[in-house]
Amino acid sequence: MPEQTPVQMVRKEETIKRYRSWPFFLKIAVLALFVLVPFLFPSFKTLDLALKIMIFAALTASFDILLGYTGILSFGHVMFFGIGAYSVALLVGKYGDPTYFNLMLGFVLAVGITTALALLISFLSLRVKAIFFAMVTLAIAEFAIILATKLSGFTGGEDGIIMSMPGVFKVSYSAGSLMGLDITGRVVTYYTILLVCLGLFMLMARFIASPLGRVLQAIRDNEPRAEAIGYKTFVFKSFSICFGCLVSTILGGLYAMWVGYANPESVLGIPIMLDVLLMVIIGGMGTLYGALAGASFLKIAHTFLPDLQNLTQSLLPNAHLLHTAMERWLLIFGILFILVVFFFPKGIIGSVQEAINQRKNTRTLGI
Amino acid sequence: MAETIIKRRGWEIAIAATVVLYLLPLLGMDLKTYLTLTIAGLAMGMMLFLVSSGLSLIFGLMDVINFAHGVCFAWGAYVAFSTFTYFDNLVQANSIFLNLLVFFMAIVAAMVVVGIVGVIVERVLVRRVYGSHLFQILITFGGMVVLTELIRIVWSPNDEVMPVPMTFRGNWDLFDIIVLKYPIIAIAVGLLVFGVMQFVLKKTKVGKIVRAGVEDPDMVQAMGHNVFFFFTAVFAAGAGLAAVGGLAMAIFNQQVYPDMGDAYLIFAFIVVIIGGLGSITGSLVGALIVGLSYNYVAYLLPPLAVGVNILIMVIILLIRPTGLFAAGK
Repeated sequence: MPEQTPVQMVRKEETIKRYRSWPFFLKIAVLALFVLVPFLFPSFKTLDLALKIMIFAALTASFDILLGYTGILSFGHVMFFGIGAYSVALLVGKYGDPTYFNLMLGFVLAVGITTALALLISFLSLRVKAIFFAMVTLAIAEFAIILATKLSGFTGGEDGIIMSMPGVFKVSYSAGSLMGLDITGRVVTYYTILLVCLGLFMLMARFIASPLGRVLQAIRDNEPRAEAIGYKTFVFKSFSICFGCLVSTILGGLYAMWVGYANPESVLGIPIMLDVLLMVIIGGMGTLYGALAGASFLKIAHTFLPDLQNLTQSLLPNAHLLHTAMERWLLIFGILFILVVFFFPKGIIGSVQEAINQRKNTRTLGI
Repeated sequence: MAETIIKRRGWEIAIAATVVLYLLPLLGMDLKTYLTLTIAGLAMGMMLFLVSSGLSLIFGLMDVINFAHGVCFAWGAYVAFSTFTYFDNLVQANSIFLNLLVFFMAIVAAMVVVGIVGVIVERVLVRRVYGSHLFQILITFGGMVVLTELIRIVWSPNDEVMPVPMTFRGNWDLFDIIVLKYPIIAIAVGLLVFGVMQFVLKKTKVGKIVRAGVEDPDMVQAMGHNVFFFFTAVFAAGAGLAAVGGLAMAIFNQQVYPDMGDAYLIFAFIVVIIGGLGSITGSLVGALIVGLSYNYVAYLLPPLAVGVNILIMVIILLIRPTGLFAAGK
């Protein structure tokens, strides 16, 4: 073995440290949990919940690349999610047979449309003020909802498109059982999506840590300065937007694969945008893994909110105002959103990170 | 040569081109339809002006983009709806005086209630996040969601039919051209508000302070005027204007629904991007452009009605990124 330079030795040490630190073990544990969900809880409800957490965690992470790492607020992020879902649904469900080729074609189409649209939007609105970006994306997202609803001959209107999946992804597919688990189309789809989500997450983590990601964070912190150093901020921002939107559109396709339909309410609506915003804020802006925390929190809350409603109904049968308020879960989420933005702007992961850093600092100072 | 002509005659060319462009829809319809659509478009433009002027002024003065502005529009419509159902006998009376009375009562009620909502939103939400666009957008977006849900709780989650005062219904017949009565009233109200706003902003001391605040709020503060008080006042006034717009639009469409603010918030954004943030005249021009194009295209190619406005916005952003009449910042 040749002699190592000091830099190489330090780097090696750091790598070893990284793989022995508790955040790494935590990540592995979470991944193991997702892998084991079909074995531990074979009911459809839990499987559905775990999968939606996965997809929304990745979606929120891709949104966080824009919001938390580049400092751009886009209200059109869910629109790209919808473009992915609709592309797959149109090609597999409406204008083609459920074959693997059409499925792939759907994803390719979605990626193409998204790249073109993201470039167009960033070219139009980033030139002036970042604030225009929020307004322009909101307008275009609303237009997309109108198009999806009104062009019912093409997109199926309010009802959307129902489709069945090809081959091994089909719900009725069955390939015996493994360790007490029936290998159905659902399970195959679950693991495929888990794999893709894991890949996307690793890609995003790499993207953030790359020199490009560093430049984006510099732009977020001080744009005039980044520009003065010599980075063309416009190009970097557009690249960030394209990357985030591409991840979003692929996730949209995966989501459509799982639920088997695409309609304006489930993949395009403003409530989903609010969900994603809430997940980012709760998890913590500018922390990629915060997305996972936020998505888990919100999706679990969504699942158990009806139970909570029933509970309040049985405990306090006379408080009618409370019941109306409970039925309007958007109200609760809206208030929660405002409170978190005011009092908890760093989110779960952000606050934890801060606490750890503080402890580390006090330890190194020897206090 | 060509460049100097554009520089010297830029506005004349732009206006002539616009006029020609707005005569184009004539190719696809007959004159009567065209005139009816034009009046409807002007009326819609006036209502959009009411919404977007508030948005624009709030941005100009406070540097805040208020995403909760659309919901003030919906609140105005609902307050007017309640007023109309409460004074049903005045609405149904076949007397122009009583109808106008209830109409103005509704306007006052909407302005007062939504003005109070505006004060609350400004004091509780926006005041804490001055200076950070990102947090302003997030906070006002949250406010929008909460206020929309409150409409669903206070009134009802379903669509309601908005009553129209008796003498506002029907139409006049001018030389075989059917002119609906209500759009004329809406245009009149819009012009009245525009006149009052111009008067207040240009001729009174309050207006002078507000315009100075648009240019440089710190300086106004240094001159001894409490600029934060004016922030709240302008915010409330903007919300009140949006409420009047909502009321007018609800009577025009004869319905109210909780999500109505969302759609018109998008219109208001398009209007202020076209007209330029911070300018009242810009809002008026932008609103008329949007209202007219929306109505023509909605007649010719219904699903693309919003699309054409986005297209106009895109063109304006390409040619003049700050909008037609950008002020100050």
